[in-house]
Amino acid sequence: MTSRWHSLEARLIAASIVFALLVAFIFAVLILAVSQLRNATDREARAKDRTVAALELEKLVLDMETGARGLVITGREPLLQPWTNARRQLPHSLAVFKASFADSLERQQAEILDRLITAYVSDYSVPLVELARRQPAAARIPLATVEGKHRIDAIRSRFTALLRAENRFAESSAASARWRSQAAITGAVAGLAVSALLIVGFGVYLARAIARPLRGAAVGASRLADGDLSTRLAQSGPGEVGELTRSFNEMAQKLQSNRLELEEQNERLRESERLKAELVSIVSHELRTPLASIIGFTELLLRRDVDVATRRTYLEIVVEQSQRLATLLNDFLDAQQAEEGQLHLAEEPIDMAAILREQTRVFVGQSDRHEIRLELDEPLPMRGDSSRLAQVVANLLSNAIKYSPQGGLVEVAGERAAGDVRIRVRDHGLGIPEEEQPRIFTKFFRGGAAASGISGTGLGLAISREIVEAHGGGIGFTSTPGTGSTFWLELPADMNGDATENTATKGDT
Amino acid sequence: MNRNLATALAALCAALLFPASSTALRGPGTIRITGRQIRFTRVDTGLPGRSPGDMEISRIQLYNTRLRDKPIGHAQLVCIYTGDSSRNCTGTFVLPAGKLVVSGGLIYRSLYDLAVTGGTGLYSNVRGTLTVTRIRQNPPRDVLLFRLVVS
Repeated sequence: MTSRWHSLEARLIAASIVFALLVAFIFAVLILAVSQLRNATDREARAKDRTVAALELEKLVLDMETGARGLVITGREPLLQPWTNARRQLPHSLAVFKASFADSLERQQAEILDRLITAYVSDYSVPLVELARRQPAAARIPLATVEGKHRIDAIRSRFTALLRAENRFAESSAASARWRSQAAITGAVAGLAVSALLIVGFGVYLARAIARPLRGAAVGASRLADGDLSTRLAQSGPGEVGELTRSFNEMAQKLQSNRLELEEQNERLRESERLKAELVSIVSHELRTPLASIIGFTELLLRRDVDVATRRTYLEIVVEQSQRLATLLNDFLDAQQAEEGQLHLAEEPIDMAAILREQTRVFVGQSDRHEIRLELDEPLPMRGDSSRLAQVVANLLSNAIKYSPQGGLVEVAGERAAGDVRIRVRDHGLGIPEEEQPRIFTKFFRGGAAASGISGTGLGLAISREIVEAHGGGIGFTSTPGTGSTFWLELPADMNGDATENTATKGDT
Repeated sequence: MNRNLATALAALCAALLFPASSTALRGPGTIRITGRQIRFTRVDTGLPGRSPGDMEISRIQLYNTRLRDKPIGHAQLVCIYTGDSSRNCTGTFVLPAGKLVVSGGLIYRSLYDLAVTGGTGLYSNVRGTLTVTRIRQNPPRDVLLFRLVVS
């Protein structure tokens, strides 16, 4: 389970917070830069406004001086017009001038200028004009000119200093505004670049961490839906995405396992059905043949009067077929017991050599076309169920004879090796086709034997394997189609045993 | 320069408001006050009308309306005609921080200047000029502008 702090949700929230903080920081810097730029621009604009107001005021003062001087020198009233206009405009200009310097560093200088101009007007200019009207000669005395020049020079000097200071301030503000503007632009470009990089990085992260794994999951799910249960996703992606891929893979693994299990069950069901069909076929065939013989010869005995020798022959056939039926039924019962794990075996000291010798003797008389050759190390003591082991040997010998219909040599060998008793039954008959070899120990499997007219139930080898494995041994074969087969047994030997007393004498399978 | 002037103005204003101290003026300065003529006496001697030897005696109350409405001092000016309209004047301006003595010739009372020849108190070490501009005729009111330097 993904830790809460390592989950994709937590990562996305953390990334969003970091991104939001960064963007907020960038915008704060930008806002600050823009605000400072605006302030610098405002300062520059106010400095220019102050300069304009000062120049306007200076112009009015000079107009007054010019007008008054014109009147004083010429005595003509029309020349006083600039003075009249300037005096009318002066209060407003002074108010604007003082207001524009109200929050300026040069406010004190502005106030001094205000006083100088006011004094110039009230103490000099207005009295001079009145004097010029009333007593022109008095207004033309040198003192009037000197005093006017003196006052105007003082005012102009103040204006010059003030304008110089304002120019410096305006230049400083303009430089500051330019610097702020450059800083704002640089900050904006840097912020945009950083934001773009962050957005791209975040997008790439989302694509790699979420979109790509999800696309892979979608493709995987599609392939899974199409039946490809081997589909697995690469274990990648953070948090929940990683969990999703792991869960997907586990789901696919379970689906694949379930399908394999279902396929195996289906295969087993099909095999079971096939075995049932074979069983019915085998049972019906194997039972019908001896039963038909029993019924046929019994009816002959009932309908016809036959001599004693013939009747004996018929009765021997009936008995033989009845025994065959009994053997079949015993095989079925043995197979059933083995199936249910109820195959009971005696555990007693036996001599496997004696069992081989006896079973060989039994089968020697059953076929004129076969030669059975026995090679033995004697004794071959072991512990086990002599009748069941005799049943195994009989089954192998019976098969060797049945599957070499042209006759020939059947070799039987028994030896001791490395604590085991090894038994080998070799024929030179039909051999087992390679495709049938894996199923040769399967119950009711007979391969091409039925088609070849070879009788049997297909239970012999299956029962033999159960018996041998129940003794702690093993059974196997090698076969070459057309050349013959060799079946072998390996059974645990009893190194100190004396088994001669318990050697069984069971018959054929 | 501006700062020095402002300091001097502040000192002058203080000197106009408060009693004189023994401290002399330490730099140049300007005193702007207004004068209201409260008495004018003309002594006609010699030929009738304006003629050399006539005297004009003026008594003036001094104001600094930016600081207070009441008079801050007074002055007296004595002029002796030397011609039909030219006259030679001597005057004393009594201010809170000391006295200023002026002297010189003039023709028109509407606009004239006199030399500041000396003073007492704060003005014991000064000289300069007094420029007088009449801003009202009846009753006569003048603007008095002392431009002082330390001698």
